[in-house]
Amino acid sequence: MSKLSYLEVKNISIELGEFKLKDINLKVKKGDYLTIIGPTGSGKSILLETIAGFYKPKLGKIYLAGEDITNLPPEKRKMSIVYQDYMLFPHMTAFENIAYGLKKKIKSKEEIEKRIKEICEILNITHILKRNVKTLSGGEQQRVALARALVIEPEVLLLDEPFSALDVKTKENLRNLVKKAVKEYGTTVIHITHDFEDVWSLADRVAVMKGGGILQEGSVEEIFYKPSVNFVAEFVGTNVLKGEVIGKDENGLTLIKVGDTVVKSVDMGNGDVLISIRPEDVVVFYGEKRCKVKNIRRRGEVVEITLDLGGETLRSLLTPNMLKTLNVEDEVSISVDPNSVRIIKSLKQKISYKN
Amino acid sequence: MEKFKAFCIFLSFLFTFLLFMSILSLFLVPNPSEIISSLKTEEMIYSLKLSIATSLASTVLVILFSIPVGYALSRHDFIGKSIVKSILDLPMAFPELVLGLALLLLFGQSFIGKFLESFGIKIVFTKIGIVIAQFFTALPYAVRVIYSTFEGINPRYEFVSRSLGYGELETFFRISLPLAKNGLFASTIITFARCMGAFGAVLILAGGSYMNTEILPITLYLNISYGNLGMAITSGILLIIISFIAILIFEKFEGVNSSNFKKVESIRN
Ligand SMILES: Nc1ncnc2c1ncn2[C@@H]1O[C@H](COP(=O)(O)OP(=O)(O)O)[C@@H](O)[C@H]1O
Ligand SMILES: [Mg+2]
Repeated sequence: MSKLSYLEVKNISIELGEFKLKDINLKVKKGDYLTIIGPTGSGKSILLETIAGFYKPKLGKIYLAGEDITNLPPEKRKMSIVYQDYMLFPHMTAFENIAYGLKKKIKSKEEIEKRIKEICEILNITHILKRNVKTLSGGEQQRVALARALVIEPEVLLLDEPFSALDVKTKENLRNLVKKAVKEYGTTVIHITHDFEDVWSLADRVAVMKGGGILQEGSVEEIFYKPSVNFVAEFVGTNVLKGEVIGKDENGLTLIKVGDTVVKSVDMGNGDVLISIRPEDVVVFYGEKRCKVKNIRRRGEVVEITLDLGGETLRSLLTPNMLKTLNVEDEVSISVDPNSVRIIKSLKQKISYKN
Repeated sequence: MEKFKAFCIFLSFLFTFLLFMSILSLFLVPNPSEIISSLKTEEMIYSLKLSIATSLASTVLVILFSIPVGYALSRHDFIGKSIVKSILDLPMAFPELVLGLALLLLFGQSFIGKFLESFGIKIVFTKIGIVIAQFFTALPYAVRVIYSTFEGINPRYEFVSRSLGYGELETFFRISLPLAKNGLFASTIITFARCMGAFGAVLILAGGSYMNTEILPITLYLNISYGNLGMAITSGILLIIISFIAILIFEKFEGVNSSNFKKVESIRN
């Protein structure tokens, strides 16, 4: 089998009680990092656990390195899994937890200790190995769980919202550790998350799930800048706007008129187009006044402001101190990096943009 | 409203008082020398020994049986699962005497009894019969406790173990059983206490014959019918002491904050 699909999920359907996964297809290249995003209850965990072999699909096949593993029990699949709530065995120390899978693979005590030492140095947990896992902090527990999963050098590492229970700082730290460890071992990863930071900083590919199906799968770029359906755009928070190509500037950038504003894009196009702009890429300042602030809403660390561009609505994310002076109904200007303005679709014919 | 509240509280106190007095009278009514001499009789010693021996045997059997049953009910979906669950619960609602009668018919009259007899295994009116009767009386309670214990353990522990290379059986022994330790312990104590106190089913199936299939509850019953109050009270006291020791062991090992005790309580009540 080609390198193109090291792990391949083909037409998988599964029923669990009331819930159904419908006709799932996924291809993951060796060494790739795939994140799966989607609302709660969309079947992300079930998909992951089906790949791991805990649930038997009703229809479809799963291939790993060209081999049909659909009927292989989980212990033969060479995949390991890390959950949000760690799932460390409470009757074992941190060391015993990490050694658990390794003991099954290799007999030599020295070799086991050597490998555990290696992974623990990467994850920085050498000092807590003798501890009872119940006394560890969340971040420490999750590093032990990661070590336990990575130390057996799995073909595929499955992560089910591994950082969700952790505070922002610990999350950031663990993200970097995972990045380092995955690179070191060349592991193929499937990572479920609802935190886009994970996607930005870790992923090569993204799949968006909803209601037991995959809506879109693609590179991070594609998902965030070229969402194929309205739901994906809404879910990932991308602005999707109608515009009209009105020419090119002196640098060859496409000029697009959106409402009363003109933005520049690196993409080519003509006529009526749909464009996408990430809210965090919009810079707001007082200048030639072309758009009106319709709404200001705090969302945790950032502030979301809604702008009226003259018919088209654009959402923008700002840090709170940027808008000390900003009020609803103010008139402002925007500027967007041309690299961040993407043409999704040409609307030469009247194509209604609905899914 | 206030009067109703007072009434309810009054009832609780009244009931507790009566229960306490009745237990107390067990220890106060007879004179101590009579109890000592009853304790020393051959019949009492025989009955105590047989009670403990049969209860230990049936407890081991019950636990060995309810672990896989409780596990299967908790972890797996299979055809007829709800029927299995209801039938397993039946003996809890059954009068024990009826359970005994049913067992008597099964092991005495049916092909199963005849089949066992062809191997020389006699159940009706024998000590094996005591164990069988205790087994069926206590089993539903043990299955319940063990079932809810496994229900309380996230199956993802088992998933993780499987993904780390351990098969179904290895995972069961290395992960599921150790995690279920507290619940297994609780159900063992409960089972033993149930077996010690089993009466109706034992009487019908094993016959309750003097110094043969005589366990403590039978001793109590036989001696009451002969008007031998001292012997009856002594076996009652022995039964209470044994339950008390069981509860004490239970609490000592369980700790105060365990939820298993509540589980057991809610099932017993
Ligand atoms: N073992 C199961 N049996 C029946 N239904 C299940 C089972 N596991 C999960 N579900 C249901 O399937 C749906 C999807 O679950 P899940 O995959 O956990 O969603 P998420 O995308 O949030 O991870 C949920 O509605 C859940 O209640
Ligand atoms: Mg989930």
